[in-house]
Amino acid sequence: MMNSMNNQALVSELENRFSLLNVDLVSESQVAIDISNNDVHTVLAYLKSLGWKQLSMLTNVDWIEEGKYQLVYIIFNWDNPIYIQVRTKIERENPVFRTVTSVYPGAKYYERDVHEFFGVKFEGNPDSEKQLFLENWDDLPPLRKDFDAKAYSDRKYAKREYTKDFSNKGGKK
Amino acid sequence: MENKKLTQAQMDTKWTELGDFFRRKSIWMLMYCTGCCAIELPQAMTSAYDMERLGMGPMATPRQADVLLITGYLSLKTLRRLVYTYEQMSEPKYVVAFGPCVINGGIYHDSHAVLNRLDHYLPIDVYISGCMPNPESVMNGFTDLMDLIKNKTAVGWKNYRDNNEWYKKNQMDALGEVFVHDEFHE
Repeated sequence: MMNSMNNQALVSELENRFSLLNVDLVSESQVAIDISNNDVHTVLAYLKSLGWKQLSMLTNVDWIEEGKYQLVYIIFNWDNPIYIQVRTKIERENPVFRTVTSVYPGAKYYERDVHEFFGVKFEGNPDSEKQLFLENWDDLPPLRKDFDAKAYSDRKYAKREYTKDFSNKGGKK
Repeated sequence: MENKKLTQAQMDTKWTELGDFFRRKSIWMLMYCTGCCAIELPQAMTSAYDMERLGMGPMATPRQADVLLITGYLSLKTLRRLVYTYEQMSEPKYVVAFGPCVINGGIYHDSHAVLNRLDHYLPIDVYISGCMPNPESVMNGFTDLMDLIKNKTAVGWKNYRDNNEWYKKNQMDALGEVFVHDEFHE
């Protein structure tokens, strides 16, 4: 029954059970819901029991003007092709969230990824602070909006010097 | 008949010249496909441009390869592995770099992860321009390399040996340490 559910039926099912802050029906195959921090684990566990067994992606959005980070869990159901984005906002300063590895064990690596690029700490995932992609990183997490990649690059990497000459000499030197 | 005896130095030069002749007719490539320019290699290698007619072929291991191809942007993390790879290759060894990213960073010039000029860290013999270089330029780059070997100007590996301290210092400045930590094999 669940596997024939369309996105609207899915959303009304969720609305009956949980308090959703916001719902976006992005397309026939995509739904986005915003929920509070405390609901994340129950909603993800419930959706997993409905067949959304795969955590396709965990990522983070930096809303710097609001002072918030937005964690986005994208989950997928192999029998009913609807992507669900489960989104929640956390504080940008000293960002901490609880791990979802108890629901989706594969989140182990995504949480390391988010920790590395945004500095979010995941309580309950002892591996989340190990380095994954960046090695010996020595600055702000690089995907934060207040990280200046150009200044970092200028400081760290040797640059090639040029004399710019845009005058047209007809191919002659 | 006068029996002319060559000095050791003259003999060495002759052997090197002979070696260079065969070396440029038989180049084994180690493809370090770091970036998008690698997509131009299949056309250059297969029937469209048929690199093998120049005597070039792919090689699986660094110790048996002659030329290292760096195909595109090079991130900090990749440089660590690349230094390992380059130093494993037996001399004489040559480096061919593809695209603008290895020259000045290209479109990644302001990225936190991509090195801007590769010649500070490894000696480059040939640059192939174009983003990405089309297969004609790739083939042209390889014939250029053969000419350089013929003219004895492909001496990047000697520079690396002579100026090793300078290269090592630059590598350390950018990388902190060259050692590769790999949690899956430690």
